This record gives sequence, structure tokens and C-alpha cells, in this order.
Amino acid sequence: MQEVLSVWGVSKAYPGVTALEDVSFSLRRGEIRALCGENGAGKSTLVKILMGLVAPDRGSIAINGQTQVMRSPQQAQGLGLGLVAQELSLAPHLSILDNIWLGSAEVPFLHRRAKLRLRAQQALATLGLADWDLDRPVGSLTIGQRQLIEIARLLARDARVLILDEPTATLSDADIDRILGILRGLRAQGRSIIYVTHRLGEVFELCDSVTVLRNGAHVTTGPVSEITRAQLVELMLGRSFNDMYPKAAARADRGARMIVNNLRVPSAVHDFSMVAPRGCIVCIAGQIGSGANIVTRALAGLVPSATGNVMVDGRPMRLGSVPHCVGRNVLFISDDRAAEGLFPQLTVLDNLVASRLSAGARMGVLSWRELRRIGASLAQRVGVDRKRLTSQSNTLSGGNQQKLLFGRALASTQPGVLLMNEPTRGIDVGARAEIYRIMQELCDLGAALVMTSSDLDEVVGIADIVITLYRGRVVARYQGDDIAMASILSDITHITHSIRSVA
Amino acid sequence: MWRQLAGPHWRPFTVLAACILLLAALDAGQGAFLSAATAYSTLQIFATVSLVTLGLGLTMMIREFDLSVVGMYGMAGCIAVLTGTEHPWLGFFLALAIGLAAGIAQGFIIVRLNLSSVGVTLGGLLVFVGIAFVLTESRSLPYDNLAVALLLNERFGGIFSIRSVVALAFFASAAMIFAWTRLGRDIIAIGSDRRAAMTTGVKVDALIIGIFAFSGLCAALSGVLLSYSLASASPAGLADVIAPAAAGAILGGISLGGGTGRPLGIAAGALTLAVLRSGLNAVGAPPFVNDIAMGAVLLTVAVLDGPDLARRLIVVRRLARRSPTA
Amino acid sequence: MTKNSAAGTDVAVRAGARTRLDRAPLFAWLQTIGIVILVAVILATPGFLAGPSILALLTTVSFIGCVAIGMTLITISGNIMSFALGATVGVTAMVFILATNRLGFGAGLLVGVIFGSLLTGLQGLLIGSVRANPIIISIAALALIYGVTQVFSEKGTIYADQGTVPALAKGKIAGVPIEFVVFLVSAVIAQFILSATRFGRNLFMVGSSFRAAEAVGVITWRTITGAYLWAGFFTSLAGIMLAIRYDSANMDYGVAYDYDAIAAVLVGGTAIGGGGGSALRTFAGAMVIAAVQVMLLLKGLRQEWQYLAAGLIVLAVIVLQTRGSGR
Repeated sequence: MQEVLSVWGVSKAYPGVTALEDVSFSLRRGEIRALCGENGAGKSTLVKILMGLVAPDRGSIAINGQTQVMRSPQQAQGLGLGLVAQELSLAPHLSILDNIWLGSAEVPFLHRRAKLRLRAQQALATLGLADWDLDRPVGSLTIGQRQLIEIARLLARDARVLILDEPTATLSDADIDRILGILRGLRAQGRSIIYVTHRLGEVFELCDSVTVLRNGAHVTTGPVSEITRAQLVELMLGRSFNDMYPKAAARADRGARMIVNNLRVPSAVHDFSMVAPRGCIVCIAGQIGSGANIVTRALAGLVPSATGNVMVDGRPMRLGSVPHCVGRNVLFISDDRAAEGLFPQLTVLDNLVASRLSAGARMGVLSWRELRRIGASLAQRVGVDRKRLTSQSNTLSGGNQQKLLFGRALASTQPGVLLMNEPTRGIDVGARAEIYRIMQELCDLGAALVMTSSDLDEVVGIADIVITLYRGRVVARYQGDDIAMASILSDITHITHSIRSVA
Repeated sequence: MWRQLAGPHWRPFTVLAACILLLAALDAGQGAFLSAATAYSTLQIFATVSLVTLGLGLTMMIREFDLSVVGMYGMAGCIAVLTGTEHPWLGFFLALAIGLAAGIAQGFIIVRLNLSSVGVTLGGLLVFVGIAFVLTESRSLPYDNLAVALLLNERFGGIFSIRSVVALAFFASAAMIFAWTRLGRDIIAIGSDRRAAMTTGVKVDALIIGIFAFSGLCAALSGVLLSYSLASASPAGLADVIAPAAAGAILGGISLGGGTGRPLGIAAGALTLAVLRSGLNAVGAPPFVNDIAMGAVLLTVAVLDGPDLARRLIVVRRLARRSPTA
Repeated sequence: MTKNSAAGTDVAVRAGARTRLDRAPLFAWLQTIGIVILVAVILATPGFLAGPSILALLTTVSFIGCVAIGMTLITISGNIMSFALGATVGVTAMVFILATNRLGFGAGLLVGVIFGSLLTGLQGLLIGSVRANPIIISIAALALIYGVTQVFSEKGTIYADQGTVPALAKGKIAGVPIEFVVFLVSAVIAQFILSATRFGRNLFMVGSSFRAAEAVGVITWRTITGAYLWAGFFTSLAGIMLAIRYDSANMDYGVAYDYDAIAAVLVGGTAIGGGGGSALRTFAGAMVIAAVQVMLLLKGLRQEWQYLAAGLIVLAVIVLQTRGSGR
């Protein structure tokens, strides 16, 4: 059997971080290969290199036995590779036919060509969608259906190797079954598929073989039939365990700062409940599509359609109004600090005191002396150089910017609830340690911290309580010594298939 | 079927038909509205603003905005009048070339330096107005080639003139190019989801420059034809352009969120405004009705297209539900 | 106005940060050099510092300047500009004259100012509560204002009755035209609002990042409405001053003021994307443009070149501005 894709010794490093180190594997015709690994293991870098979006520092790629230098996505497509990314690239206002051919060099100036239409029709037929109207606007399709159009796009351009990045993250069970069936059909046609996923259940259900990456290195490649689930999890996580997480002093069960009952967000979160005790860190663990981030946003008041029963310090709190939540000392740090956290052109000082403007203020007039004092003290507490107080905040590094957002939370006079989404995403090790220290400080002050994180090392290392979520429903709760990486991973990847309830 | 008629593709034509019917009703058989004279004046008004509407509308379709059309309109007219007395074609093509070049320059600055189109075209607008004032020495210039002026406005076929035919032909070409070539698909994609267009390999930068070039060309063409036909050019522009152009584009189906609207729809939108203006005039309504109608339409569409409208309505509904128990 | 935020690669983000850092000092240097050159040329131009030209300059710049102060607030709030302020100047002038004729000078002032503020504030309410496109809303307001005023006055001029406007209001204070004093005081008040009040800080936050402001708990619709209310206030001052000076009001007042005002705002260094700026710098921007224009005039260049000069300066400023992305 011929090898349709081979990768030898591919390495890629960015300043300060090694993304890939000497990765090699090969793929046969008609093989579905799972590509597994934690966040930061190097999966997306490898995909980008295969598709010509990024050039590797070392190593080579061969397609059908011929070595190629991947220069651009167009070239990759021409060689038979195709990618369906996590974020779909479809124009909702255009028809299915137009989207299938969008941006392709094969489309001539007078674009209505019978041949192109025929190929699109055939692509849909291959997917079992022959009855779909090619002229329907993509905007009228559900997300599951749109995903199929992306796959159809690859087929119409005759892709022999399809790379799917987390294809089922946002799909319903019915959609997932359909896609798995379609992929099996493509395999029967002799196409190869690289299936990047966190959903270990699907790895065993669909794939022939699996490649595991960890910290940029290739761990193993082998048939799925020769590996158990437990072994796979172990390979992904490795033996080493970071000691960077401050050992939390055993926290006696203190009173509850926030109690949540029956939190519901239509189509995203079903019946979420939680107790956030004072001085504790609660971690809501889940993957994309699990709704974890939406839970925290809803509790912060950012989701107007959220309903449920929330008590803070014994009194009920209304959902859907951010000023109200802020007034009850429930603060929020977004995972998108560029768009929803930082004020880029404003100074570091402005950013720090953004929530404390009333300090020393009289009749709406600010007291800059007081604000500067507060700013200076906050800067010191979070470890930002006081000389940077007058710099624009967008000149700071990512880690320092995140520290600013935490500084803002420290600024409130009374400890409350701090909700955070992915608080250490994209931040270097040094800043991470400082942020954990700040979180510790907040806990010592009596605040309740509720965070989401897709970094399981972090979850296990820092949380006092872990709640696992899968597709908007709570799977399990863990506390103290019960918190274990393997069980959390099984929960959030739906490996046990125990919850296949009617959505 | 009703929903289709109200949908973005057909709505411009439905609205146009509704306006015509409304005015015919107001006319009540007096024959002031439903007459060849009114049709002629409608098409003349159409010819004055519609091309600018097309150019501006295309920039709005990709979620940008070309403010400089206002200035280019006046400047092109002045250039043509200044250089085209002996040789009208010279003035004509010179003005068009300058419009095209200015559009390319602005588009290039916007794309390469990644700047807001509003800011850059505002600068362009001020520069064009300034140039127009310098060229004309702050005066209105007469255009002595009256033969051309008369020719452009000469009525034939009962309702047409060369000016209006040129405008209609331009729209027809634009519509064909849009529907039958991949340019149209790519432009819609850019407006619909620019990131998706970039990822799939659409030449986004080149198209954006092209659209601003086209907008400049349209504004210049309109300005030249208007100045020639009125036999005069003024650095301050001879017609108030920005409001009817934006209104025409929006009536023509351009959504502020991008991706919707087609050249034929924009033609219908511009025609609707022209029909309203000349029709209201014909039935004896005072001119302010026009301004008010245009303003009201723009206001309504802007509010309905507001991204936070749905959120506000949820909040309002919640407050209403809560108040009896509060 | 951009909904799609592209998740860029590492390289792109770093390149963007690099360009941001590099342009800030460049722009600051250019501004300083520009002002030094300007002052030198002014001192070298015969006749500039003579009485009549200075006085004329100060008076003319004050009308546009007040509108520019109002426009600054709108730009800082992230709403780019308004096309309706010029028309608001005219209609406020007319309302002022009407009210003065009927109710006296003091009441006229009050009515005029309240009218202008509410007229603009209403636009802000729509923009702030549903985030309607601010440019389109202002164009709609422009059309509506012109339309409705035609209903009431058919584009004619309204005259002030004899004796209703005190001569004092047309004179000078300490040798400086009273209009200029109003302009200066407006700039100071606006600057105070921007830098010393909670509302002002909220304004910067909303303009810098609307979503971040919401996440912090700023009541964004109130902030934007407030910005437009104040913009209307300062604009109405311009209309009233014009009506006082000419003892009459006409919808021609304020035509094209919007463009001159935004030019002053941009030359003063306020970013068109919002989140930064200062009323005092708008003041300086207006003065710079006016000074350049007068200087060209005195050098023998005709008036037309003023417009072109102003346009080129604005274009240069926009291209060089530090905040790159606005798309």
C-alpha cells in the first residue's frame, strides 16, 4: 500500500517556545488517523505546516512519494490536501455552490460553469446529500450542515488527504453520527483522513490508527486496536507533573459565597448548579462546546437570555445585567483580553482603576491623587513596574496585560466572586506563576474564584473543586483528593458515552 | 411568497412598486404623476445621483464607507468644465481618469496601512474639495459648450436622455458583471465574512482597492455628466449627494452588516428616491416631504439593523414582565 | 463597525505590535516639528500679528471651534463623527432667535441650548442603546432636520427683533472677541469633563473597547447618550453666537461645519477610531488650521489654497496616526 503522506523530522520553534520537535509519521491510502494531544502539544502547528500556512524550520514532507516544499494553501490544495478548520470559512450570503468554489483558482472569470456545478453536485452526492439544493444560501443551514459543506468543498477540489480539526466540537449527536458515517464512506473510496480531536471516544469509534503528540514531540503512532483507552490517556498526559502550582493549604469548608441553581442558557447550558465557597477555587472543566465559558459569562451578567437562581452572600442576584453583578462584587475576566478585557489605548493606570473610579470622587469629579495611589499599590501587588503606569497598555506583554486585569479585580474593596475564563491562556511560565500567586491572595482575602480552563494540568494543580461539563451538562463534581487528571479527561471527552441523552 | 417579496433580494423592487402605486393613488387620475414628463424628470434625477449611489453602495457592501464621493463629484465636474470647452471628450476622460486614480490611491492607503476607510476618505474628501476650489478660484464656472449641454439633456423616446441612458447602461453592465463573473461572488464573500474570504484565497486586498477605484470612477462620471448638462460647475458641488446616495443604497438592499445588496437592487433604490422626489413634486407636495421621508427611512433601517437591538428587546421584555411583581 | 475579529498568527500579532510602537514617537516628533515650523513662519509673516487679521481669525475659528469641541466627544466615544452638527448649528440659531423674540434674551439662551442638546442627545440614545451605525444615523438626522425646518420656515431668514439682543453680547472681553472667550471656556469645560469626571473616563473606555467597557460594568448607552448631549450643547453655542452676531438666523449657518470640525479634531491628534483625544488639543488643532489659512492668505495665496492646505494636513495626519486598525 502506498504512503500518501509522509512527514520526517519536522521541527518548528517560535521565540521562547518549541512548537514541534523532530516529528515523523506517515499515512497510507484509505487510512483514518487520529491526531491527539493536549493543548499546546503541537497539533495545530503541524496542521499549519502541512497546509503550507507555516514553514517548518527543519524536516521534509512527501506526498505520494514525492518530496514537496509547502509554500501556500493553494499549493497544498493542488497537491490534494484539504483542511476543515475549527472556525468555518463560509460566506453565509453565498449559495452552497458558490461557497464550495470560493477562492478556488479553478473558477474562471465567467463563473457559471456547468462542469463546476457538476463536480459540486458529485461532491454532495458522495456525502449522501444529493437532494440538497446547490443554490440555497449557506446562511440558512445549521452548523452541522455547514460543516458538511466544508467537507464537500474539499471533495469538489479532489482532496485525497482531508484534515479535520475538532470537527465534532459543536455538533449534536445526530450530526456526529452522520459525519462519522460519511468519513467511513470516504475511507472506502481510498481517501485518507487526519482527524484532530480531543474526543477520545470517537478515536476508538472511527479511526484506524492514532498519532500522539506531547509537548511538541512525537510520542507514538500505532493502530487503535493495539492500545487501550487508559494507555492513550496516559500517553497524552505523560508522567511529569508540574510543581508550579502553589500547594493550597487545606481549606476548611467555609461558607458559600455564591450558590447557583438551575442555570440555563438556551442551546448551551442545561441545568447547571454549583456552590462556590469563600476562599476556594472552583474550576469548571470542559472542551469547546461544553458551555463552560458561557456559564461564567452568564454569571457575570453578559448573557441576557440566561435564566436561573443565583444567590451571592445570601441575597439573590439578577442575571443579564453587568452593572448589577458588578454592584454585587461579582467580577469577570474574559478569555478574550484583547477585545473584552483591556482598554488598549488607555494607560496602565486607567486600566487598573477602571472599576474604582468612585474612590475619593466627589459629585462625579475624580480624585486623581487617590486614583494614582490606588494604581501604584495595585501595580505593586500584581508585579507590574510602577514606571509603566503611564504607558499605553497595549505596549505590555500578554502576561503583564493579564496581570492588569487581575489588578482590576483586586481593586474592589470587598472580596466577592471572581469569574475567569482561561486566565492563563497564552501566557509565559513566569507570568503564570505570578497569576497563581495573585489568585491565592484573592482567596486569602475571602473571595470565591470560579474559573474555566482547558489546561488540565492547571485544573488539577490549582483547583479545590472541579466540576466537569460535557455539552452543557454537569458530568461530575470532584473535591480535594478526588481530583484526578484521568477522571476529568474521561468526563470532558465523553469517553464513556454514558450520557447520550436526548438533546 | 409574501416573505420572499419582503426578503432582501426582492424588497427594493417591492418598495419601488409600492411607491409608484402610492403616488399614482395620490395623483388620483389627474395625470400629473403618470405622465411622460414626470417619467423624464424622474430619470433625470436618477441620473444625477444613482451612479454615486452604486459606488458608495459597493463600498458599504464590504463594510467600508467612501466619504470622498461628495468631493470627487464636485471636483470632477470642475475639471471637466475647465478642460472640456473645446474638446468635451478630453475633459470627460480626464475627469474619469482622475476619479479612477484617486480611488485607487485611497484604496491602496486603506489596505496597505490598514486604516479606517472613513478616516482616509474623509481626508480625500477635504483634499478634493480643496483642489476644486483652487482650480476654479472659488467661483462657479460656466461651461460654454452649450451644444453638449443640450445634447445630454435632449429628450428622446419620450422619457430618456443621454444622461439617464448612460446611467442605466452603467447599472446594466455592473449587474451583468456582478452576476456572471467571479468578481461578484468574491465581493459578496468579502462583505459576508471577510476572514472566511481571506482564508479561502480570495484576493481581498486587490478587490478592496478595486471597489474604491470604481467608487471614485462613478462619482467622477456623475459629476462630469451633471456639470456638462447644467452647463456649469461649482467647487461646492451642484447637488446634495451624501444623503440620497446612502439612502438609495440602503433602500437598494445594502445591509449595514455587509454581504447583501446587488447592483440592480441599488438601481431600484435610487429609482425609488427619484420617483419620490419627482412624483411628490408632480402632485404638488412641498419639497420637505422628500427630506423627511429619506431621513425617516434611513433612521428606521439604521435602528432595525443595530446589532444590539435584539438584546435591548429582551431586556425591555424582562423589565415589563418584572414590574407587576416588583 | 467590525464584527469579525481575526485570530491572527503569532507573527502577525508581533508585527502589529512592532508597528504600533514605532509610529507613536514618529508622530509625536512630526507634531512638534510641525508646530515649530508654523510658529516660525507666523513670526516671519508680515501683517499676521496685526490687529485686524488676528481678530478676524479669532472670531471665525470660534464658531467652528465650538462645534469641533462637541465633535471631539463623539469621536472619543468611538462613533467617528456626526454629519448633523452643522445643520444643528443652523436650526439652533433659528430656535434661539424665535425664543428670544418671544421670551427675551435669557430665556432664548436657555431654550436654544436645551434644544440643541436634546436634538443631538436623541441621536446618541439610538446609537448607544442598539449600536446603530452612527454615520447613517447622523445622515438621517441631517435630512430630517433640513426637512422639518423647511416645514416651519421655508428656508428663509429669521430676524431678531430690535433691542432683544444686548449689544454687550457682541463685543469684546479684555480686547478679545466674546466668541473666542466662549470657545476657550468651552474647551476648558470639555477638557475638565474628559479628564476629571467619571463620565469622561467612561467615555474613553467605551471608545477604546466597547465590550471591555460593558464587561467592567459601564452603562454604555448612558455614556454614549451623554457624549452626544454634550456635543449638542457645544454645537448650540456656535449657533447662538452666530445668531447674536448677525441678529438673524438662517439654515445656511453651519453648512459644511461638520467637515471643518472633524478636520480640527483630527489635526489636534484625536484618533478617529476612538478611545483617545483631548478637547484642548482640538482647540489647538482648530487654531493651527485657522492660522495656516490666514498665513497663506497673507502670503498672497488666494483663499482657495486654504481649503486645500487644510485637506492635505488632515490627510497626512490620518495616514500617520498611531492607531492603525479601524476596519
